[in-house]
Order: sequence, then C-alpha cells, then structure tokens
Amino acid sequence: MSLSIIIWLPAVAGALSLLAPRAVAGRLAVVGALATLVLAVILLVGFDNSAPGLQNVTDQNWISALGIHYKLGIDGLNVWLLTTTAMLFFAAILFASFREWERPNLFFFFFAVAESAVLGAFCAQDLILFVVFFDLMLIPFYFITGMWGGEGRVQATTKMVIYTLIGSLLMLVAAVATGVIAAEGGQPLTFAISGLQQAGLSTGTQEWIFLGFAAAFLVKMPLFPLHGWMPDAYRTMPLPALAVFSGILSKVAAYGFLRIVIPLFPDGAAHFQELLLLIALASIIYGSVMAFTQTNLRLIFGFSSVAQLGFIVLGIFALSPRGAEGALLQMVNHAVITVPVFLIIALLAARSRGSEDIREMGGLAFRAPLLAALFLIVSLATLAMPGSSNFIGEFYILLGVFESKTVIAIIAFSGVAMAAVYALRAYISTMHNRVGAQATPREIGLQDALVLVPLVLVILALAIYPQAPLKAAQGPAARSVAKARLALDPLDQRASTQKISQVTP
Amino acid sequence: MSINWYLAVSATVFCIGAAGVMLKRNPLVILLCLELMLNGANLSLIAFSRMWGNGDGQIFAIIVMVVAACEVTVGLGVIVALHRRRLPIDADELRELQG
Amino acid sequence: MIAAAATSIKAPYIDWAAFSPIVALICGAVIVLLIGLLPGRRVREQIVPGATVLTLLATLGLTIWQWGENTSIISGALAVDRLSLVLNVVFVATGLVTVVMSLRERATVQAGQGEYYTLLLASLAGMAVLVAAQNLVTLFVGIELLSIPLYVLCASELQREKSLEAGLKYLVIGSVGSATLLFGLSFIYGATGSTDFSGIAAALSSKGETIASNPLMLTGLGMAVVGLGFKAAIAPFHQWTPDVYEGAPSPITSFMSVATKAAAFGIFLRFMDVAVIDEALTWQPLLAALAAITIVVGNVGALAQTSVKRILAWSSVAQGGYLLVGIVVSSAAGLEATLYYLVVYVVMNLAAFSVVVARERETTHGDSLSAFAGLGSKRPILAVPMTIAMLSLAGIPATAGFIGKLNLIGASVDGDYAWLGVLIAIGSAISLAYYLRIVAVMWMPDRRGDSPETDRPHGQPEIIGLAIICSAATIFFGIIPSPIYDLVRGAGESIGLL
Repeated sequence: MSLSIIIWLPAVAGALSLLAPRAVAGRLAVVGALATLVLAVILLVGFDNSAPGLQNVTDQNWISALGIHYKLGIDGLNVWLLTTTAMLFFAAILFASFREWERPNLFFFFFAVAESAVLGAFCAQDLILFVVFFDLMLIPFYFITGMWGGEGRVQATTKMVIYTLIGSLLMLVAAVATGVIAAEGGQPLTFAISGLQQAGLSTGTQEWIFLGFAAAFLVKMPLFPLHGWMPDAYRTMPLPALAVFSGILSKVAAYGFLRIVIPLFPDGAAHFQELLLLIALASIIYGSVMAFTQTNLRLIFGFSSVAQLGFIVLGIFALSPRGAEGALLQMVNHAVITVPVFLIIALLAARSRGSEDIREMGGLAFRAPLLAALFLIVSLATLAMPGSSNFIGEFYILLGVFESKTVIAIIAFSGVAMAAVYALRAYISTMHNRVGAQATPREIGLQDALVLVPLVLVILALAIYPQAPLKAAQGPAARSVAKARLALDPLDQRASTQKISQVTP
Repeated sequence: MSINWYLAVSATVFCIGAAGVMLKRNPLVILLCLELMLNGANLSLIAFSRMWGNGDGQIFAIIVMVVAACEVTVGLGVIVALHRRRLPIDADELRELQG
Repeated sequence: MIAAAATSIKAPYIDWAAFSPIVALICGAVIVLLIGLLPGRRVREQIVPGATVLTLLATLGLTIWQWGENTSIISGALAVDRLSLVLNVVFVATGLVTVVMSLRERATVQAGQGEYYTLLLASLAGMAVLVAAQNLVTLFVGIELLSIPLYVLCASELQREKSLEAGLKYLVIGSVGSATLLFGLSFIYGATGSTDFSGIAAALSSKGETIASNPLMLTGLGMAVVGLGFKAAIAPFHQWTPDVYEGAPSPITSFMSVATKAAAFGIFLRFMDVAVIDEALTWQPLLAALAAITIVVGNVGALAQTSVKRILAWSSVAQGGYLLVGIVVSSAAGLEATLYYLVVYVVMNLAAFSVVVARERETTHGDSLSAFAGLGSKRPILAVPMTIAMLSLAGIPATAGFIGKLNLIGASVDGDYAWLGVLIAIGSAISLAYYLRIVAVMWMPDRRGDSPETDRPHGQPEIIGLAIICSAATIFFGIIPSPIYDLVRGAGESIGLL
C-alpha cells in the first residue's frame, strides 16, 4: 500500500471540510482521520518485523536538480509511531468535533493538515523532505493557536513559531550541508537518508551539522534550556490541538535523532553524547520540579512532558541498543498517555467554569467515577507504575544509560520518583479533596467517553503487551546506534562489527 | 605629465560634488553638485582615454554628458512640481517622509 | 574625400534578431507616447494600456523566439544569453503586472496615461539593456535608462506631496549612486584600458597581479560595487529604500521592488562573474560582508515598522542580502541560485503588493497595518494570497520561497561560505517576526473592538485576480519547482562559469 495515501488522506479530507458547509466540516475531518487510522492499522498488521530495511517504499524524483527525492518508507523505527499518530489524531479530531468552534471549516482544515504533515515527517526517508514536513507541521498549529487560542494567543504563537523555526532553519542548513558536502567527492548529489549513511563526513563537519539538527529537535521537544516558548504556547493552545502537539509533535523530534542524527553523524553524536545526556538530565530534574510547583494543569503536564522527553533523549544518547529501544517504546507510551491527559484536562476545565487551576478543582471522583478512573490510570501510567508500559520503557532507558554512565542513571532515577509526586498531586487535587469553589462535578459524557475509554484501553493493552513495539524496534534501534557506539569506543570494534553483521543481512 | 595630476583634479571635483550633495540643503544646489560628481568622473575618463591611447573613454564621456543632461532635466521637473505644490525648496524641510 | 571616408566606414554588424526584444520595447515606448497624445478618454484609459500590453507581449514573444541564443551583439556591447533572456521574461512579466495594477491608479491620470506607460516601457528597456550589458558604457547607459524614468514614475502622483518627495529623494540618491558607479567604472577602465568585460578580464589575468596590489583597480571595483549597491538597495546603501517605497505610488513601488532589484542583481552577476571573476578571491570577502550586513540590517529594520509598504521595503533589503549570497560564491550554482531566487522573489512579492494595492483603494487606512485588520474573516480572497506571500517570503516549506532559500544555502555550502547559509537561516527566523505580524493582524484580530472599518468595496477584479494568480504560482512552484529550474538551467555556463 502506498504510504502517500495514508499521508495525504487527512489533508484531502481537510480540504474538503474547508469547502463543506459548517455543520459537516468536523465530520468530514473525522472521516478522513478514521480512514487514515484504518489504513495505518492495516499497515501495522502487514508489517514484517523480521525483514531488515525499509518497507512500503515510495521513491520518486522531486527536485531532480538537487537530487531531492520524494522518498517514503517504514521500518521498525517509525511503524508504531505512525500508527500511534493516526490513532491519536483521530481521537483528538473526534473529540474536537463534539465541540463548537468558531469558523469550524478552517479549524478542521488546519487540524487535518497537521496530521498529514506529522505523518509525512515520520515516513520521510529524504533529509530535505523530512525538513519540509517538519517545518510544515508547525504552520497549522500557528494558526490554530493564534485563531482559537486563549488569552495572549498571538504573542504566544508567534514566539512558538520563531523559536521552533530558528531551530528548524538551522536544521535546513545542516541538512543541505550534509548532502552538498557528501557529494563533494564527485558523487551525485543525494539527500536520501540511506544514501548518506555511507558518506563518511569528516568529524569536524559532523560536529557542526550535528548541532544544527540538535537545535531543531531540542527546541521542538522542548528540552531545558530551550523550552522558553513552551509555557506560553501551552497556556493558550486549544486543548485538542495541544493534546496532539504535546503528545506527537515532540516525538517527531526524538524520532529524528534516531532516524537521522545518530546514524548519519555518529562521530558528532559520540562527541556530544555527554552534553546531550546532561541536557536530558537537566530537563528531567527541571521538568519534574516545575511540574510539581505549577498549579495550572496544562503546565503541570507540559513540564512533565519536558521531563519525559528528557528520559527519551537520555535513552537515545545512551547510544546503546537497549537505550534506543526503551526510548522508542517510551515515545509511543508518552504519546498515548499525553493525548488523553489533555483531553481530560478539557473535561475538567468544563467542570470548573473553564478554570484549569487545580486549586479551583477537586472532589470529582464521587460524582464522576468513570472520569476519575480514567484519569487515575493515565496518572499511574505517567508515573511509570510497575506493570505499566512506561515502567518498561524507563527501565530499558535507565539500563542503557547505566551500562556506560552510571552516575547519570542514578540521578535520572530521581526523576522517576518525582514523577510520582506531581502525577499523584494532580490526580488527588482534582478528583479528591474538597469540592472546589468553582467545580460542578459531572460524569463524563457518552461522546467523550467514546474517545477516552478506547485510548485508556490502549494504554492498558500496551502495559500488558509492551513487547509488540519493542519487537519492531529491536533491530532498527541497534542499527541506528551501531556506528555511534563504534565512534564512542573504537576498542570495542570487534564486538560492534559483530553486532552490525548480526543485524544487517 | 603624470596622469596623477589629472586624477587628482577629477577626484577633487568628485569629492566637492559629493560633499555638496551631503551638506547642501537647496535641491537646486544639490543638482549642481550631482553634475560636479559626474563631471569629475568624466575628467578621469578622458584622462585615461588619453593614457591608453584609445577612444573608448572619450565616447563614454560624451554619453555621460547626455545622461547627465537627462538627469538634471528630470530633477528640475520634480523641483518645479514641488514648487507648484508650494512646498519649501529645502531638503531639510521635506519632512513628510521620515528616513 | 568625404565620399572616400564614407565608404571606409565599417558599421558594426547588428544581429537584429537577437537585438529585437530591446528594439520592441523602445519602439513600443515611442508608439505609446504618441497614442497618448490622441484625444479622448477611451484612448487614454483603454488604448494606451492596451498598446503597452501589446508591446510587452511582443517583447515576450521575441524573447522566446531568441531562447537558446548565446551570442554577443553590436561589437560586444550586449550579450544575448540565458541570463539576459530569463531576466527579460521576468521584466516583461513584472511590466504586465504593473500595467494591470496601474489601471485604476490616480498617478496615471495625474501624470498622463501616455507618459506614465511610456516611462514604464522606457525603464523596462533600460533593464533589458542593463542585464545584457557586457561593456562599461552599455552598463552605464542601461542603468540610467532604467533609473531616470523611475525617478519620474515615483513622483508621478503629482497631487500627493509624499510622492513628489519620494521622486526627488530617489533622484538625488540614485544619482549619487550613478556618479559613484561611473567614477568606479572610469578607474576600472583606467586600470585595464578596456571598457569591455572580456577585455577587462583578459587584462586582469594577463597582468598576473591581483587587484589588491593594484590600487586603481581596487578603488574602481570598490566604487562600482558601492554604486551598484545603491541601485540594488544593499546595506549600508539602502537608506533611501523605505522612504521611496512608501512615498511612490504602490504599483511603482511594486515595480521597483522586483524589477529594479532583478536588473541590479542581473548586472551584478554578470559584472562580477565575467569581468572580474579572476579576482574572485579578493572581492568575495567584501561581498560576503555586505551580504551579512544587508541580511541583518534589512531584517532588523523591518521589525519596528507599521506601514506594510515600509515593511516590504525593509524585507526587500533583506531579500537582497540573500540574493547576494549567490553572487559571493561566484559559481554556476551560485548564479543559478540567485537567478532562481529572483524569479521566485518576483512572484511572491507581486502577490504581496497586489494585496497592498487592493487594500489601499478599499480602506482609508492606506498601507498601514490596520488596513489589514481582520482581513481573514472579511476578505479571505485577499487574506489568503497575502498569507501565502508572507509565508513564502519567510521561506516556509511548500512555498516557492523555501526552494529558493534551499538553493542559496546549497550554493553557499558548496562555495565554502556555509556561514552565510547559517546567516540566511537566522535572517529568515528574524523575518518571521514581521511577516507573521502581518499574518496575525489579518487572521487573529482582537476579539473585542474590531476596528470600525470603512470599507469601500471597490470593483477591482483584475487586482484580486493578480493576487490569486501570483500566490497560486508561489504554492505551485513550491511543490513542483522543476519549471523554474528548467528556466534558469544553463545560465551559469552561458557566461562561462564552472
């Protein structure tokens, strides 16, 4: 099946909903997202875990003068993320379609275009194509935040775009440089990721190119200290959009490290490993502490995201197969958890006259046991309760780090403990305690339950059977970090080459 | 005779013109100074033409004269139009546009 | 005696076929001027613009007829090659757009239709001469033929003081630039003994000394760059730009911002890459510094503006900085990247300016940002093209501007000027602050207190059509860029670059 269909289907549906009458705009977008989800699931079912290399490849010349291809493909790195994205976007769009929006046609158009862009970024197998999708997915969120956001939206959305685009424009330079410098020896100009892997750029070149990519990804996630745009944007973005923004867009950045940066610039990755690990560590601690001090639910989980992404980066830059697998699993986990969290926040806010402050909430559990149960499961998953899939992900990550950087792993472990504190605090103060002054306890509606219950079931399913994404990730994750491991520890050459020969056919 | 003398004169004329454009207020004087700049360049063109013994520079100079005449004509036209609108003929008073 | 002399004159051979686009423009200018003298309102309002359009179409036809030609005509005065032909197409397209924008413009009435359109055609002829020039004399003639009609066009809205002031200001500063350029050219002639680009190049390479050791040549080159910098609005010689752009009638502003820029960069490319290419190592750092300054100054200058025309003026300065990067690297890739970006820049800037022109006539706010408030819900048909133009100017993917920047960055890395590529990226990021301000004003107005807009819905389908065509082209070339590649391919080889 052509990946192009999956990628562009939502955008087509969005374009249709732009032209459709107001009343059906949302439904059209939902139908588009649902069809995408169905196709993505078919794709996942048909995916062959054992086959190395890319599957379902689409490869066409796009800009032949520059050797840029429209190349898409899936492998173990992105197939789960792809399906997760389709599922979560469907959930968010469905959730949004139950609500009233000003100018709904435009709203759902932007939402659907965002889905296309994210799917494209996950599937892209050409550097420039990746950059294109990566930048493109920002634009719909610019408009969604600016047009439907809360107070201070214009300023917040502008800040967000400028921050993230500084990063991604530097990435563009880095990407172009990669192709151009790799072609300097007389080879034809190509930007295909698989083609560039053999390029062998000099260490110095790799280092500055690495920084360009890292800038883009770290801002997008965001990690401390590049998170300056995050609080404002999180405060104002409409919640269904924020759910996918926080849940999925940040994963594109993390995925970019595994797909592009580490395989293509292994020397750079090895050179900056400690810097990235420290940034990740700082993010874990900073994010956890901030999440604990905030009272706005959006920010609690916004900063929690910072911490969680810290873990993911920690796993990636352990530069070990274990860590990378854990990071990939954790990407899926965090995405699956974050989206229901923000949708639940929307429900909570609706039950406390629009306030998202935990001091004004409370006591919902009695009147709304189902809502409380859903939130409880999500909260426990967030704090990586043993038995949850997050636990496995974080365990793998810490294990990967522990092998080489023991001290960092031990400090990072404190992040796990802190997660328990802020997640439970958020749960208790909204669901238990005294009924808040503004709160009007009400059970979750049927429509919203229709969205949230399946999502929570997915969380439970992942908890029971986390092997599914892990199995897909195993080979590609090891391949992704193999070269960087080699660069890190040349003495380990024999073991590493053995490993490479094991995983490459 | 060294060509440097000619170049010195032409550079002086050019610089006087440039200084005039920057310092003078009256657009008419500014136009005059623009002419000085162009003619300074003309002088050096002719001197170089003599030095190299080919006619290129002289032809160039003649063409420049034509062009300079056009420029002044247009300049005067605009100044007249400004005058008709009873605007002050003083570059400092042209305050509608703030640079 | 006279008879003997007469027989001994050997006129240069003129390849009229290759020369024909320029001839068509000049003849058209004369004819339009004469038609404008005929009495009758219909003549002025329909036949004169019609004749102008016909002239432009004829020029376009002749240019396409000569496509693929690579010769030098009239004793080496002009070159007909890919570079000049591509730019001719750009000029003609811009001319057509300007004619359409001017149809309902007050300036045409005040200045007289015949004169207005004649000046436009004359200026276009100057551009065509300029980008084909491969001799210092034709270079100077071209630049003046381009500029002098523009001085008048800037001042053509005779009843508005700002317009007259803009004309005078442009005249004074433009003439200073011309004089500086001329002085520089005279030195280059003095240093090499030739006014011909290839002669200059030959003299430079035969002497075996670098420019740096030849003060005459160094001064001459420096002054020539400064003079061209005035025309191309390269910082620090850009100060006139915001004022003149704001004061001139909007169709003329749009014409200046694209066509003049294209012409100035066209000759910049040819002069640098043909006449003094052997000394590239000497002037590359100089131009690189200018490019860096221009990118920074242009983008920072735009931040504080509230008039859309002024924002676009500063933005055009910044865009000039990006274009300069392609010249700095002095390679075929660089030349083609600059040419590519010029084509793209013309399309997206024209989209922006057509919306500005349309809004100027619809509201009483002129070109201030408030004229665009809430446009997204009131007039999406104008807001969408403007949004696309802004995003493209900022270099967002799926627009032509992105591919243009991609090329420039690629050329800069290829030419070992990667830091300029990084600067392009940073400049684009800064530029988002003002481009997005315009977008935000249109789509994200304050919910409270929507400004009571005094719209005068104005039948101007042609301008709305222009905005839509240009913005659609911006998206189209962002997704399918190959037509522009086909257009510019070979321009570098045609002037002998590697």
